[in-house]
Order: sequence, then C-alpha cells, then structure tokens
Amino acid sequence: MIQTMALFVAAYRELNARKLFWLSLGLSVVVVGIFGMFGIDQTGISVWPFGWSFDSPFFNSNVISPESFYKLMFMNLGVKAWLGLFATALALISTAGIIPDLVSAGSIDMMLAKPLSRARLFLTKYLTGLLFTALQVTVFALASFLVIGLRGRVWEPSLFLAVPYVVVIYSYLYCVCALVGLLTRSTIAALIVTAIFWLLLLGVHSGESLINYGTIASSLEVSAIEAELAKAQADADEDPETVAELTEELASQRSSDATWHSVHWWVFAAKTVLPKAIESLNMLERQLVVDARLRGGLGADAEARDETGGEIFGHGRVERAKFIEALRADENSRGVWWVLVTSLVFEGVVLSIATVLFCRRDF
Amino acid sequence: MALAVDLSDVEKTYGGRVRALRGVSVQVNEGEVFGFLGPNGAGKSTLVKIMMTVARATKLSGTILGAPVGHKPTLARVGYLPEHHRFPKYLTGRQVVEFFGALAGMERAARKRRASHLLDMVRMEDWADRKVGTYSKGMQQRVGLAASLVNDPRLIVLDEPTDGVDPVGRREIRDMLIQMRNEGRTVFLNSHLLSEVEQVCNRVAILVQGRVVAQGTIDELTAASRRFEIAIEGEPPAWWEPLGRVTRERAPGQGLDAAPSASRLVLLRTEANGGQASIDRLRAEGRTILFAATVRESLEDLFIRAVADPTTGVVSAPGATIGGVS
Ligand SMILES: Nc1ncnc2c1ncn2[C@@H]1O[C@H](COP(=O)(O)OP(=O)(O)O)[C@@H](O)[C@H]1O
Ligand SMILES: [Mg+2]
Repeated sequence: MIQTMALFVAAYRELNARKLFWLSLGLSVVVVGIFGMFGIDQTGISVWPFGWSFDSPFFNSNVISPESFYKLMFMNLGVKAWLGLFATALALISTAGIIPDLVSAGSIDMMLAKPLSRARLFLTKYLTGLLFTALQVTVFALASFLVIGLRGRVWEPSLFLAVPYVVVIYSYLYCVCALVGLLTRSTIAALIVTAIFWLLLLGVHSGESLINYGTIASSLEVSAIEAELAKAQADADEDPETVAELTEELASQRSSDATWHSVHWWVFAAKTVLPKAIESLNMLERQLVVDARLRGGLGADAEARDETGGEIFGHGRVERAKFIEALRADENSRGVWWVLVTSLVFEGVVLSIATVLFCRRDF
Repeated sequence: MALAVDLSDVEKTYGGRVRALRGVSVQVNEGEVFGFLGPNGAGKSTLVKIMMTVARATKLSGTILGAPVGHKPTLARVGYLPEHHRFPKYLTGRQVVEFFGALAGMERAARKRRASHLLDMVRMEDWADRKVGTYSKGMQQRVGLAASLVNDPRLIVLDEPTDGVDPVGRREIRDMLIQMRNEGRTVFLNSHLLSEVEQVCNRVAILVQGRVVAQGTIDELTAASRRFEIAIEGEPPAWWEPLGRVTRERAPGQGLDAAPSASRLVLLRTEANGGQASIDRLRAEGRTILFAATVRESLEDLFIRAVADPTTGVVSAPGATIGGVS
C-alpha cells in the first residue's frame, strides 16, 4: 500500500511537471464553461455575457426545454466531440510518456531493486495513466453537471456515467500505448502507433457498419425476391418468362448475398477481436438517453429521418422501414457482452503481453 | 562468519551472444567492505544487476543475506546504487530519497526522519529541497548514496559510486564507506579505481572478461609478491648475483636525464629478516644504504598482472567475449 501510494504520488509529480496535464484539465473546464454561456429562451439562443441573441424557430424554449437543450449539448458536443476525441487525444498525449519514462529513465534499476514485484510496478504505472484520465473526465462531468443544473435547472447525476465509460474506452487505446512505449522506450513512437491504431479502429468500425448495411439490405432483397417469386409461381396467369426472370434474379442475388456475408464475416471477425471504442461510446449515449432522458422531447428525429425515400444499396425492393427494423435488431443483438467483454479481452491480452515482457526484460 | 553474499557459478549471456559472465563465484562476509574490481566491460555491473533482480541470469545459484537471489522481500534489507543513474529532474533530492524509502515499504514518518539524517550525512542539507535538475554530477551521486541507504540496509551494493565525483567528494565517499562498515553493514563495491578500493576494502575479487581471476584479502593476493629490497649508492656488489635481482636506478633527487648512480637489490624471500645479513655485509663494506624494507605488490600491480595474459603479458581488450566459446 505504501509502495502503491508512493507510485501514485510520483506519477502525480510527473504529470504535474508536464504542464500538459493542467492544460487539458483547464480546457475541459473551459469547454463546459462555453456550454454554460449559451442560453435558450422563448425566442431563440442567447450568448451570455455578450448579450448576443439569435432568434430561431427551432431552437427556442417553446420547442426544446432548457433541460433538453443542455443535455443535447452535453451529449453531442461534450461526450462525442470533446470526451470521445479531443479529451482522449489530450489524455493520450499527457500520459503516453509514463511507461517509456519508466523504462528509459535512469532510476528504473533502483526501483526494480526494491521489494515490490515487477508486475505490480508495471500495472500500477499503467493504472496511474488511467487514474489521471479518470480525473480529467470527472472534472468535465462535474462541470457539466453544474452547468446543466444551474442553467437547465435539472440535476442529473447520471452524467457521471461518462467517467467509467470514457476511462474504459481510453484504456483500449492506452494498453496499446503502454505496450509500444515499453517496446520502443519512446513516447513519440507510442503516440504515433496509438494514433494509427485508433484510426484503424475507426476504419474497421465504419467499414463494418457499411458492409453490415449492405449485407442486411442484400438479405432483405433475397427474401423480397423469394416472396415475389413464390407469388408468381402460385399465380397460374403469370407469364412463365417473368417466373424465369425472377428465378434467375434470385440466383444472382443469392450469390451476391453469399459474397456479402462472407466479406462481412471477416470484417466482423476482425472487429470482434479489436476493442470497440465507438460502440462503447454509443452505449454511453444510449445509457444517457435512457437514464437521463437526454433526448427529451426530441424522439421524433428518428422517424423524421425515415421519410426520405430512395433505394438502399441499389436494392429497389427493400422497404426502408423494414431495413431500419433489421438494423435495429442487429444492433440490439450486439449487446453489452459483445461490446465490452470482447474489448476488455483485447485489452487484457495486450496488457498481459506487456507485463510479461516487462517482467522478463534485462535493464 | 555468515556470508552476506554467496554466489556460485553465475552465467549471463546477453542476447544469446555476449557472454558477460562465465561462471562467477563470489563470497562476501557479513560486515566487510568487498571490492569487486575489473576493467571496463568485465561484467561487474552485470553481476550486481543480477543480484538486484534488475537483470536475469542465464544460470545462477546463490543467496543474498541468506535468501535466494530474486527473493523480493529480502531486498527491503538491501541498498543499491546503480551506475549512471539519473533521477527525475522535477523531484527534489529529499523527494527522491523519500520515494525510495516508500518503495522499500517504510512508513512516512520513519522515511522522512531517515531522509533528513542521510541528506545531512552526504552534506546535501542545503540542496535537499532543490530540484535534481539543478544538481552537479557529484551532488546527484551523493543523493543517490542517501537514497540507497534510506531503508537502513544490511547489505549495500554500490556500482562505481565515485564516478564523476571530484577528489574531495571521493574522499568523503570513502569515509562514508568506512562509516557504513563501522555501523556493521556489508558493502559490495564495484570499482575500477584501485586506490580507493585498496584503502577501504577488506577483501577483493578481480573479474576479467566474465571470470573471477583472483579473490581474497589484499594481503593474501599480494603475499606471493613479498620481497625485501635494499637500495644502495653505486654499483651492486659482485657477491649479490646469486642472491637476487638487481635494478640500476637514479639516486633520489637526481634529474631524469642523470646516469643511474644507485642500485636496488631485490631479495625474493618472504621472511623480513632475510635481508639482515646482507645489510650487515654491505655496511661492513662501507656502502651507503639509502633504503631497506619489505615490499609487496600494490593492488595496481596485482590488477595489471591479473588483467594481463600470463603468457604474453598483453592486457586484454575491454568488453565481454562476443559469440563463440572460449
Ligand atoms: N543489456 C546489455 N545487452 C547486451 N550486452 C550488454 C548489456 N549490458 C552489458 N552488456 C555487455 O556485457 C559486458 C559486461 O558489461 P558490464 O557488466 O556493464 O561491465 P562492467 O560493469 O564491468 O564495465 C560488456 O561487454 C557489455 O557490452
Ligand atoms: Mg559497470
């Protein structure tokens, strides 16, 4: 315990010496402060203390309650843009050096020669990285809590759910950062590889989503053709040529459907192995929507989107409503277990590799 | 007497190629200052790192303070100052010492007290609360010494502690070593600075290319070289020839270019009184005796002899053997 505390204090001093930590903490507060500057009234949006106001037929307190307005800002700008992107990047930059500094600085020998195990030393250092990220997110959540409470007149403790979620998402990246930092002893290398890894996660996520859409649409198209064919075959008056055409179309659609599925299988496998940062963030969003009723009176937006017509992936037969229903069902089938547990398994594996390497290395 | 360090047959091969240690056995008695000598690259630091669990031996058996090497709890009673250590620049000297105290599991009050005491002892009291980044090499070394002593160790292992320290600082460190021994600690001192080892060490081992070539007290190791020397003015007497060696030399105070006017008669006999008869005879012949004493090899001579190849006399190149088996 004494040793763990000493390592935490040492990490605090290290981060304190790096001004970046305070910078990103300060920025968090500034971002929330900017949220608080925007007010909403019956005519539109106003910006305090400048007295600017923008009249708007959509954004006024008759359409959106101040409560929903702030929650919306917290969710879309605060969680998605700030915590999901900028704050994570800043946290990475300020904590990426912890492991490389541990293994390259001239005092690692003296630390290893103390009565504490190497695994504990390494994992404690790793934890300090997460702890300071947690601190940053907590400050952000607290500031948001106050702004929404004071300006929106509603106290919403579930905003603090952002803390565990963001820390877990951050840890997916940080384990890679720690492993690379250990191998290369270089903060820059750790940062670059982690950034590439992050892009890879985004790429796999977008790619999988797109291919998933295509696969679902293609399956629906197959069923639609099947139904049409069955109807044509049942109808004695139907031109046999139409039946033949449909049969042919069904065959070609089935083969393209098989391709969609096999491609999707591989992409999905890759995604299952990798941590799911975006899904985890989406889960936070869903949680906040449920717990904090963040969408408020805005539930209509989902339906609004459905009204736009047109083809889906070139499949004229697929009905939009059915497609969206299938997508929802698919999304729900990827539950908490799939998103969090597979991600944590990835993190566990990376961390174990790093710990074993750290324990076996000569310094 | 109990052994503080008892290692036998330690081998270390780095990366499958660099044979840094090739079967090293070292015994250190409790309460002594042990000098571990060797040229650069002999493997001194490697052995110490293995003892301190910083590096892993390829092959190893042995104990430290009675526990097998690698037993972490024992390290609470061991102090270690690595070579080339650098402490974080943003910490003060006091914070460094207290941090290592905490890592050794010391309670807050105890480590604070001990840190103050040690920082006074290494004469860093005025600088203790300034950042390490502002320290000179010698000051960092002093803080390092304090940090390695913070847990009140039974055994303290120092790797080149006087590296980069000025002569005054060296003398102070030497005095600290003696003080540590007087306090009953065992000191394991890695060094290639022979004069300081000679002055403080009870026993030494000499490591050359990963092998211990000599181990024992300085007395034991130099006993074979004990001899009686008589320096006289003028030519050596003819009757000396069967008794021993002769070297011609310049009398004291003569310039470097003067012709030798004195002789040094070396009697290769270990008994001190072996030369008394010769002195009587020389005096009877009326010769002036400039000097007469029992002389033994210095540690430096011993070291050079150990490092040099016994047949060719060539001093081996620094560094471990790379590849192959030799
Ligand atoms: N981490 C390492 N990897 C590879 N070779 C090493 C490593 N550390 C030391 N060596 C080699 O092992 C030999 C012994 O080094 P060292 O123990 O530092 O010697 P000394 O302390 O006696 O000067 C040297 O040849 C050195 O180059
Ligand atoms: Mg060395």
